[in-house]
Amino acid sequence: MKTQGRRPSAIGSRGTHLRATAATANSQVIMSPSAFSTAELLAYLDEAAPPERVARIEAALRDDESLRSRLAELVAGRDAGLHSLGEVWRRRRLTCPTREQLGSHLLGVLEGELGDYVAFHLNEVQCRWCVASLEDLRERHEEGAEPASQRRGRYFESSVGRLRDSGGAAS
Amino acid sequence: MSDACADTAADPRPEALLVAQIRRGKPDAWRRLIDEYEGRLLAFARSRLGAGKSSASEDVVQETFIGFLTSLPNYDARRPLEGWLFSIAAHKLTDHLRREGRRPAVTLSSTEGDGADDGGAWDLPGSARRASTIARSAERRDLEANALADALAEQIALWRERDDWPKIKTMELLFVCGSGNKQAAEAVGLTEQQVANFKFDFLANLKKRLRKQGLDEEVFPELA
Repeated sequence: MKTQGRRPSAIGSRGTHLRATAATANSQVIMSPSAFSTAELLAYLDEAAPPERVARIEAALRDDESLRSRLAELVAGRDAGLHSLGEVWRRRRLTCPTREQLGSHLLGVLEGELGDYVAFHLNEVQCRWCVASLEDLRERHEEGAEPASQRRGRYFESSVGRLRDSGGAAS
Repeated sequence: MSDACADTAADPRPEALLVAQIRRGKPDAWRRLIDEYEGRLLAFARSRLGAGKSSASEDVVQETFIGFLTSLPNYDARRPLEGWLFSIAAHKLTDHLRREGRRPAVTLSSTEGDGADDGGAWDLPGSARRASTIARSAERRDLEANALADALAEQIALWRERDDWPKIKTMELLFVCGSGNKQAAEAVGLTEQQVANFKFDFLANLKKRLRKQGLDEEVFPELA
């Protein structure tokens, strides 16, 4: 493909950058390529990265001072009010399938490009929330109702006492 | 608070009605919410704590429901309920992992933490809390985040209309997953140059949209 005008070179791009408190974090990403991209670390902070990736980040954080510093810079940048595209995209769930679409995917009846995209979102992106929702749908489909019913009863009993206080200002 | 309630009353969506009933203290509504969302919250917790730690996962879910009731006066019913519950669950899960020493003591934004016990955790460098010269008000941040979300949603809607799924996939891999151009190109079946061009156009479009609203580009580092 022919490049046009100010269009960029395809070479040398690794993930997304979030300049934390100035140019420092950006230069860290560029000058010291890490096994983890900025977007992955931000997802880790939100408990939104795929579990196996999180495990690797946690293991690396224990021994890698520079990675801890980088994470600290990201937290500082976030506290300072910087916004990353990936964070907003993920938190607002801009491309998450609906629960109904996940159900159709589970039943194997979601076809075409949408079906292909939903599979991509679950398998490539590994969206934690959608994977959890799909797992719930699968369990509801497969399991007997009794264990879940008992669990839900326990949750209800342990929390219903707080119900009156929770929305008092609403009435 | 009153604004949020007025929104709830005016919003006919089933989940908004459910939340309105919970706000009025209706136990049946609370039970319905638990029945509807408990399974996915438990699956979320298990995905991190493992199936072998089911009681710990159940504790996280229980704390999530209690956290929901505690935060209910601040919940804006225009926002999707599932996302709100998952974000509470993520905080509770983080608190649990901190107590186990598996996560740094300072992780989530200071604007989001809930002051959980940090015992046994390990610290990030002090720079995480240093003052910033570009600190801004919560209202301003919300406005910026909403503007960015709207701009992204418009672009994504346009791609969907055109069945341009490769662009959605590519941008999601680059910006949400943090993949490199090469990795994204291989995953979507494009050339690296195509990925670089898509990314260039995507960022240029976003920049244009945000500039129209007079927002400071400095707070969107990827667009600066």
